[in-house]
Amino acid sequence: MSAESEDVPLYAERPEWSDVVPVPQYQGVDALAPINYSAEYQDATDYFRGIIRMGETSPRVLKLTRDIINMNPAHYSAWQYRYKTLIAIGADLTEELRQMDDFALTNMKTYQVWHHRRLLLTALRSRDAAAGELAFTARVLAADAKNYHTWSYRQWLLAHFNDEERLWAGERAWVEDLLEKDVRNNSAWHHRFFVVWSSGVREGDEDREAVGRRELAFAKEKIALAPNNPSAWNYLRGVLEHTKTPLSALTTFVQLYTVSSPSIAPEVMDLDNPVPTEGAQLPCVNALEFQADIYEQEGGTQITKAVEIWKSLANEYDTMRKKYWEYRIKEGLQTTHT
Amino acid sequence: MAPARDLRPTPTDGYPTATSFLQQDIEDTLLAHLPQCLASPDPTATQNVPAVLQRNNHMQYLLRNLRQGFPQRYTGQDASQAWLMYWILQAFSCLGVGMDGETKRRAREKLLAMQNESGGFGGGPGQASHLLATYAAVSALAVVGEPGPGGGWDDIDRKKMYDFFMSVKQPDGSFLVCHHGEVDVRGLYCLLAVATLLNLLTQELLEGVPEFIASCQTYEGGFGNASFPDWAFSNGYDPTTPRPVLGEAHGGYTFCALASWLFLQPYIRIRYQSTAAGISAGVNHVPPTINVRTLLRWLTNMQGTGIELGGFKGRTNKLVDGCYSWWVGGCFSLVDGLLGGASTATREPSNETATHAGNPPASTEDSEWHDIDDAIFNREALQEYILFAGQHPAGGLRDKPPKHPDSYHTLYCLAGLSAAQHRVVPDHSRRDDLLRSWNADTARGTAVVTASAGEQERLDNLRQESFLDALCWLEDEGADKFVGGSANRVNATQPLFNLTVTHTELIMAHFYQQRLPSRLPKTTSKSS
Ligand SMILES: [Zn+2]
Repeated sequence: MSAESEDVPLYAERPEWSDVVPVPQYQGVDALAPINYSAEYQDATDYFRGIIRMGETSPRVLKLTRDIINMNPAHYSAWQYRYKTLIAIGADLTEELRQMDDFALTNMKTYQVWHHRRLLLTALRSRDAAAGELAFTARVLAADAKNYHTWSYRQWLLAHFNDEERLWAGERAWVEDLLEKDVRNNSAWHHRFFVVWSSGVREGDEDREAVGRRELAFAKEKIALAPNNPSAWNYLRGVLEHTKTPLSALTTFVQLYTVSSPSIAPEVMDLDNPVPTEGAQLPCVNALEFQADIYEQEGGTQITKAVEIWKSLANEYDTMRKKYWEYRIKEGLQTTHT
Repeated sequence: MAPARDLRPTPTDGYPTATSFLQQDIEDTLLAHLPQCLASPDPTATQNVPAVLQRNNHMQYLLRNLRQGFPQRYTGQDASQAWLMYWILQAFSCLGVGMDGETKRRAREKLLAMQNESGGFGGGPGQASHLLATYAAVSALAVVGEPGPGGGWDDIDRKKMYDFFMSVKQPDGSFLVCHHGEVDVRGLYCLLAVATLLNLLTQELLEGVPEFIASCQTYEGGFGNASFPDWAFSNGYDPTTPRPVLGEAHGGYTFCALASWLFLQPYIRIRYQSTAAGISAGVNHVPPTINVRTLLRWLTNMQGTGIELGGFKGRTNKLVDGCYSWWVGGCFSLVDGLLGGASTATREPSNETATHAGNPPASTEDSEWHDIDDAIFNREALQEYILFAGQHPAGGLRDKPPKHPDSYHTLYCLAGLSAAQHRVVPDHSRRDDLLRSWNADTARGTAVVTASAGEQERLDNLRQESFLDALCWLEDEGADKFVGGSANRVNATQPLFNLTVTHTELIMAHFYQQRLPSRLPKTTSKSS
């Protein structure tokens, strides 16, 4: 460990902690699968168990728990006890939040880091703080664009404080920016769905049909940019399902992507059906699948066309999922025959 | 002649981004781990593939973990000690490694030291009770415990554990993982698995849980980690208000949500049957549903292509990782159980016979489903990923090369291998056998929560149906598939619990006080 640990005395050596009886970890004699703790960690956790036994909540507990989570950010009991202590002594929670910023940035993969912030924000009941947290999570996501906990925390912030002007308003533009940077960032696509569809109606989005058109146009434009991007196709499907729009509404668009090279006169610009980018590798699997789903949804004799596509997916374009396409064939045929 | 292997790189459409750069890197790495003869375009070269499960290496790795323990950098796992024990012990079960009595005794001692007086287990001795740790400890005890004094099982304080469970229950049907902790479907899965194993299920515990799970499914078909409760639950329950899912579809959460959904089937059948009969008027009458169609699509899409060696990823546009061999690969049996499970056939016998008039009862629809072959994912490819990329040359299994192995990935790669080698599915005749020998009195007698007189029958019913649904899963030995030959065989895994079928049976027989009928291997499905 660093020089720091040599300078700082153990809790066992500090007179101001002499009133606490340390409690060693009991795990039986000759324990299996032991972890070879450092002396510092063992010492701090011994005193932590001692503090729990006493039930003490005081400023020095904050120091102790901070020491422990510095050595082990996943020590949920230390986080839990720290939170209880903060509330019990009426600590400045905004100060706690700021103190934890750097810690969150270096331990962004740890659940507890984000949950702690959520507890603090709940207790603070401050929209200013919530707005600050949007900025903070944006910083984290700039460094780690798919961090699950950060995304889920951000979504919680938006829903919990639910402030149209200060929180929701900038959200769609912000996430669009992230998709601009990486159109394959599925977390950002999910976030867009969260903002536009799952969480009620945003201000200015009252005309749901217009919103539906806007979102389909957005997804199509992103598909045109990089057709083999399942995130965009999934979003497209999600919008159709959510708005109960039949898949066939997109037939013209999808057919541009089911052929190896679309025969389009370049001077004809159809804004509803953006053409694949020059480098597009076609036909793309998601488009073929979509086309087959259109046929299946149409039913009747169209099912033979669906089966044909499923066969081509099974045998040529998407052989890893052969079993799945064969299952779809069987299902599709069964449905039409009954 | 077998078609040449498809090793085309994932298309980037001439538009690379951060995601596609990472993807390309990993494809290069994985391709380098495919044996030369398999990468060759000549399909005749695929004979004698050197696909060997390095059993002994892995066993030695696990033994070192168990006996010598972990170096200081594992301090970050100090709150996961119950997990470390479970991962190691269940990995031994997969490999078919038995343990001597003294090792089992020491394991029990270590695990029981994590139990708290207030109920439940912590991540280590002296740590607060936590749903995940409780699952890990109880599952590990299923492996190393037995009934009677010193056997570990009777040292579990089930009444207090139940109280702990109720103390973390939330109005929206979710559970905090610990006091002041977060809500997520992993915790829910852990609670339901334990409550099923230990005979702790009650209507009260499960109220609202199906609705919560359904609210965690995303537009992609998989499940996220939780949903936002406050709008729908600000003033009683308003089912018309949104409960948005927090976090995108994810393999780990999807497994937990789906397995939870299966655990809840008996409750859902009883709960909504009763409301239909007008027993509890005034509550929502519509049983919650999940979209199995989009779920299945999402699950199959998580399997990487040939160049990714058929491993599984955990989210759309993320990289393959060995642990999803279980989290996603393990879901296919569960979907099977949901679509063709024993419970559906026995649930509504009148409907079944109405739609399939003239067919022999019960299992017809089920066997049709199984005839599709064996599974909807590529079982051989998943085994290849684990054998070629998942194994660390020095022992232990891993996320992907060139990463180091760890106990977590060792278990979930082995469990995934098991899910790809075997088919474990609900078996109707097994369910019938279990039902014939079911003793409601002894099961009630050993339960820790009693119902009021009016609720007694429903609680008995819930207990019985949960027991039957959990224990009717059997290995279909005719459907085994071993890449690299049967020397690579690992034990079959019970899809709901990630324990062996035998360990599941033993611990449940104990906590429900049932005598189990002996079982014969099931080898029927290939015959048709
Ligand atoms: Zn992993």
